[in-house]
Amino acid sequence: MNAAVLQSSPEITVQQKIEVRNLNFYYGGFHALKNINLAIPERKVTAFIGPSGCGKSTLLRTFNRMYNLYPNQEARGEILLDGENVLAPGQDLNRLRAKVGMVFQKPTPFPMSIYDNIAFGVRLYENLSSREMEERIEWALRKAALWEEVKDKLKQGGTSLSGGQQQRLCIARGIAVKPEVLLLDEPCSALDPISTGRIEELVHELKTDYTIVIVTHNMQQAARVSDYTAYMYLGEMVEFGVTDEVFIKPKKKETEDYITGRFG
Amino acid sequence: MSSEHLSKQFDADLETLRSGVLQMGGLVESQIRGAIEAFTNGNADLIEQIVAAEVRVNECEVQIDDDCSHIIVKRQPAAGDLRLIMAISKTVTDLERIGDEAEKIARMSKQIHDRGHTDLHRFANIRHAADIALSMLRQALDAFARLDTAQAASIIRQDMAIDIEFRSILRQLITFMMEDPRTISTALEIVWIAKAVERIGDHAKNIAEDVIYIVKGTDVRHTAVEVVEREALG
Amino acid sequence: MNLYARRLLVNRVNLLVSLLAMGFGLFWLGWILYTLFEAGFRALTPDLFLRTTPPPGSTGGLLNAIAGSLFMATAGTLLGTPIGIMAGIYLAEFGRRGWLAPVTRFINDILLSAPSIVVGLFIYEAYVVHVRHFSAWAGIMALALIVIPVVIRTTENMLRLVPDSLREAAAALGAPQWKVISLVTVRAAKAGIITGILLAVARISGETAPLLFTALNNQFWSLNMNAPMANLPVVIFQFAMSPYEDWQRLAWAGALLITLSVLALNIFARVFFRNKTPVY
Repeated sequence: MNAAVLQSSPEITVQQKIEVRNLNFYYGGFHALKNINLAIPERKVTAFIGPSGCGKSTLLRTFNRMYNLYPNQEARGEILLDGENVLAPGQDLNRLRAKVGMVFQKPTPFPMSIYDNIAFGVRLYENLSSREMEERIEWALRKAALWEEVKDKLKQGGTSLSGGQQQRLCIARGIAVKPEVLLLDEPCSALDPISTGRIEELVHELKTDYTIVIVTHNMQQAARVSDYTAYMYLGEMVEFGVTDEVFIKPKKKETEDYITGRFG
Repeated sequence: MSSEHLSKQFDADLETLRSGVLQMGGLVESQIRGAIEAFTNGNADLIEQIVAAEVRVNECEVQIDDDCSHIIVKRQPAAGDLRLIMAISKTVTDLERIGDEAEKIARMSKQIHDRGHTDLHRFANIRHAADIALSMLRQALDAFARLDTAQAASIIRQDMAIDIEFRSILRQLITFMMEDPRTISTALEIVWIAKAVERIGDHAKNIAEDVIYIVKGTDVRHTAVEVVEREALG
Repeated sequence: MNLYARRLLVNRVNLLVSLLAMGFGLFWLGWILYTLFEAGFRALTPDLFLRTTPPPGSTGGLLNAIAGSLFMATAGTLLGTPIGIMAGIYLAEFGRRGWLAPVTRFINDILLSAPSIVVGLFIYEAYVVHVRHFSAWAGIMALALIVIPVVIRTTENMLRLVPDSLREAAAALGAPQWKVISLVTVRAAKAGIITGILLAVARISGETAPLLFTALNNQFWSLNMNAPMANLPVVIFQFAMSPYEDWQRLAWAGALLITLSVLALNIFARVFFRNKTPVY
């Protein structure tokens, strides 16, 4: 067990994909994220856990600057994606979002056919022939473990699928553009246990190619799915470490209290 | 382990588990005391009591292990709670084995006394080793109750003393057997008894190691005693 | 009596009152429709659609009025709809910050409830007086001014019904805002927006006052945009107030035609798009 600790310490052997430095975030006057410092390792799954309102979704949404869609939301500090500051003014947000994909809590298929749903993102930045597009779509659907179920009905509307299938469609849509990072915001909370299990399997396979950050309020899911876990409370990063350690031998009492279901 | 869970039922279940372990420990302690008495006096009634206690100890083991499974499936315990459950499951196994060893000691003591060889005061150091083992068990249960890692570390050290005693008892018995071959049967039985005492010491040591695991999260099995003390006190 | 019995009684009384109120409204509606049918049914002959409006005393039809109404309604819709949709998109998608959107919405609400005769008078002053003659162009402009607020309101409402999660999902793939709007948001609200347009059409089909000051009327067949054009509402106005029986009969037929087409348009809008509005 001691050897495993040394090997998986993020600073030592694993590349950092995203580095957060002194990040502060404000919803109007409300100070939602307080001085966050964090490194997301490359090609691993990092989970954000914490009670409601702790800021985990807020932090996730700074990575692809989703907050820019709304007024009165401001981020200060630095977020380095492969060394380049994402928060710098003049950043091409659309290009950033093509590199850093996101899947949301509620499945959101577009009002178009399954084929067009997946082609939508690809068409934004790439010019593929129709054969190449078909191949890309099949690839994405296979990766999302959805191909077998929809291969005969690609022209049907995305909304005709079940909840679990819709979420996998959204995941296929997200990976079809071949992002480098995939952000998952409570992707399974609207799904039944079997669909959840399938998506967890999927995350496990995807991490060989993508850096994944997942926000979840289900601690057992975080323990199953992630390599690293960050515990947040009231906008602060309380503890960050290898998942097994955080769940068996956490360093901070606050982490232990949250994980074991103790609130003073 | 200090503050309460959101679920009061969970707290109650853990409390039941903890006191179950201590109760089982008390039963086992009484078994050892009875065994030591039986060795010294050959009292036949004590042996009956020890066998009766054995039944209850076995029931405790089954019950506590079952309770542990229930807690695991219901609560998916993590961190300190998880370590507690895992350690309790192991401790209970050690306690049950201690009970078995005590029963063995009692039965063999009866056999020795039935044969009529009652001059066992020559083997006072077995009595002494057994007393150390009993005290180790008592301290281990106390360390478990109070989650005291310093005490747990000292128990691990005391096990070394029992091992030394055991080796000296063996040497003594070999001398006796060589002097007078008629004592061989009795001597062999005394070897088994000494071995049982040594095993009781080992099991008590295991329980102490479990206590350190619960509190510190480090698995100190199979590590040198200096490392253990550093871990426990650091 | 006990609490439960009292509540049951109050419930029943209120239910009865609501039913009576509904019956009251339906009664008048039914009577209107019945009257229209009874009076206009006899005049529903093929001639109605094949011959133009006659001078009093001879037989004829409403061909030029029907054609004129169709023409001006279509043109007015074509003119007003794009403006209305674009404004509606602005209000829903870009109007979240700043002062321009709330002011626009307020003005739109006023226009929406402005009496249509005011609209007609405005076009009269602004255009008809200057060119010194009535024309179909003027009529089309007036109708467009009535279509625009309706389309703005319904477009904005339908777009607002589209959940933000859909917009976020499209933005998360790297789509620029205009693509999010055109390819995703508007598509999602498509059914509702079209329904809104159809309802605007139904509204202007029956408007008389604006046409009185702009397109006026034409006894003869004419598709000249720069000249007065025949239309059903003004024809009904003129013929119904006349002392000639055949004119009056034609007026009833015209009224029945308008009512039936508005009814058909509403039913069509509801039925056709019933299954197309997505549930979020």
